[in-house]
Amino acid sequence: MADFLTSTHRAKWIFTPHDLKEKYKAANHRAKQLLEKYGATRVDVDLDGSLAYPEPQTDVKDNAEKHSRTKPLKIDEEQLLRAFYEFKIQDVCDAFKFPRKIQATALIYFKRFYLQWSVMEHHPKDIMLTCIYTACKAEENHVSAEELGKGIDQDHQVILNNEMISLGFDLIVYSPYRSIDGFINDMEDFIYSNNGQLQHLKDLQETAKMVADKTMRTEAPLLFSPGQLALAALRRANEEYPVVNFERYLNNVLSRQYSARPVPELTVYLDAIDQMVNNLVTPTAGDMKHIDRKLKYCRDPGSHEKYPLILFVSFKYSEFDFNKHSCLTSGKCLNCSPIVYSNRSKKRKHRSKD
Amino acid sequence: MADLDQLLAKKVADRYLKREVLGEGTYGVVYKAIDTKTGQTVAIKKIRLGKQKEGVNFTALREIKLLKELKDPNIIELIDAFPHKGNLHLVFEFMETDLEAVIRDRNIVLSPTDIKSYLQMTLKGLVFCHKKWVLHRDMKPNNLLIGPRGQLKLADFGLARIFGSPDRRFTHQVFARWYRAPELLFGAKQYGPGVDVWAAACIFAELLLRRPFLQGSSDIDQLGKIFAAFGTPKASQWPDMIYLPDYVEYQFVPGQPLRTLFPMANDDALDLLSKMFAYDPKARISAQQALEHRYFSSGPPPTEPALLPRPPPKRESVDSKPSDFGPTVLSPTRKSKRVISHPEGYVDKVDDHGIGNERSGPAPMSLDFSVFEARPPARPTINSADRTHLKRKLDLEFQIPEEEEED
Repeated sequence: MADFLTSTHRAKWIFTPHDLKEKYKAANHRAKQLLEKYGATRVDVDLDGSLAYPEPQTDVKDNAEKHSRTKPLKIDEEQLLRAFYEFKIQDVCDAFKFPRKIQATALIYFKRFYLQWSVMEHHPKDIMLTCIYTACKAEENHVSAEELGKGIDQDHQVILNNEMISLGFDLIVYSPYRSIDGFINDMEDFIYSNNGQLQHLKDLQETAKMVADKTMRTEAPLLFSPGQLALAALRRANEEYPVVNFERYLNNVLSRQYSARPVPELTVYLDAIDQMVNNLVTPTAGDMKHIDRKLKYCRDPGSHEKYPLILFVSFKYSEFDFNKHSCLTSGKCLNCSPIVYSNRSKKRKHRSKD
Repeated sequence: MADLDQLLAKKVADRYLKREVLGEGTYGVVYKAIDTKTGQTVAIKKIRLGKQKEGVNFTALREIKLLKELKDPNIIELIDAFPHKGNLHLVFEFMETDLEAVIRDRNIVLSPTDIKSYLQMTLKGLVFCHKKWVLHRDMKPNNLLIGPRGQLKLADFGLARIFGSPDRRFTHQVFARWYRAPELLFGAKQYGPGVDVWAAACIFAELLLRRPFLQGSSDIDQLGKIFAAFGTPKASQWPDMIYLPDYVEYQFVPGQPLRTLFPMANDDALDLLSKMFAYDPKARISAQQALEHRYFSSGPPPTEPALLPRPPPKRESVDSKPSDFGPTVLSPTRKSKRVISHPEGYVDKVDDHGIGNERSGPAPMSLDFSVFEARPPARPTINSADRTHLKRKLDLEFQIPEEEEED
């Protein structure tokens, strides 16, 4: 669907910075109230998408005691936690060798989800998996929930349970990668490229995509259009590997559009996106320990470690315990071997003959 | 949390008042309901989730995904989608009937301007899809729904998908067989909007003939029927044909003049038809060009949608006896996905003797399957098993074989 102009993405999911702030504040506030009222914030999700809120505590004394101990997460702690899991989304997608588009889609679903909810209500680890699963499905690259769960040692039922709430938002999303390809294509004409420059253009494209990977983890995708994200990434990449005179290129692009914004206005946007990429922090597992402990307490103070720190051990392809998985023998696990892919395509070929 | 909470739990009870069941199928039940918020009549497709291994049904997910973005007068409106009590509910605008019911209703006479109108609305819907880079891939009369004011709308986007990415390979197992373009029958994996145009041409032909035009009994036979009508394509007509994956050489047959096949159509109609039925997808007219064809601009203008002949609404047709003229075509008994109100099984009771005395009296045709058999073959359709299978098996680069089956 190449029509961003009439998309739900443009109509419903591009915000002002003020909007975003308010949304995060509201979600945090609501979770805080849950904690005060019930002494816990965890919201359980059933297979059919219905929600179960914490039971009101009857033991007042016990309750009061707990409250003195349990502190809700602050807004910036929530933000840090989200940032951590957004990084994990890219990690998991890389491990499964998913295309960039899926990764971007999963990230956008994740961001949209936490505009409505606090991490204290729905654990970002569950939501992360659901977002990846749904992104695969929506982008027509299906991976079974079981395989996805198995690949990272998580219960796939959680993925399915949460899928229904993900339907609350619109599934077709636009990422900057396609736009980058388009602009690069356009630049080819712009620079009347000879062969040497074509290679440079390729490098520029790759670098810009890597910048875009970072951009996708900032708030920028909720604030700017994919085209703007792409231009910002290209400009940044072009500073590293100068290929075109970017200022002139921007003028050229805008001169071809009917109702385009003037260059200075666009530059302000690109600067803002750049700024966000500069400020992007990737929290480490160490950074997260404290927040995670806090999260556990306020989600459900009574329960014992329901969420082991599994994902805090950085999941790496090379560290994966292959012996644990059926994938190597049965050829069914997606994350383990690229050979599996070729097996599969052989099977498919075979099938299409009948 | 009011917002989302409401969305999740109370909506059916709060917003929609259930009325009678319209149909039942493998996916679940379709029922009529009143949207209390707008007073509008709606059709709710209830899809069982059960303990499905793969969560939300693919067909439903595609429908939700695409229809949320496609808003057009000639495309069915998805009003709402939400889970409730273990079921996924898709709320559509209510449609009274579909084009298949119109075509097979022997009490209906379709004038040339009626046909023009139905085709125009079909093409308008298609143009919109293609403009948004969506292939419908299941165009057939049964999926063209007709609203209370005669508006025709494309429905059932369960097989639809986005196209336009370079080198993207798709499955060729799309469309009900009779509407499948020759490139698909030859196994093409890379194809474009031309497949929808071919199907629209089949629908155009069906409107003229009042029965399905090319009723192949297998994929091979389907190509045979196509070639018998238009002649075996020559290399000059379709240079890329021999490179298609499942290409096999067919014995040369000359084909028939379109005028013989469609004696009731005028020159403009025949010209448009021949361009929509072009063998080479690259040479085939686009939906947009088809809309601009002089068939639509010359001669009497298309009938106003509100004035188009339609089958009587459900209640009457239930009371009255089936018409004297038997329908020519057997409809699939399972129409799980229909969001319309004509009674199911209606067709099955009626025997099929009406072929000879059709009002519109199409010329006897060698292609006509029904001449040789008491009953024409049942309309091939992509049945739900296939669809699930398809959705899981095909198009999907990463999908896992075997274990995907369910239902």
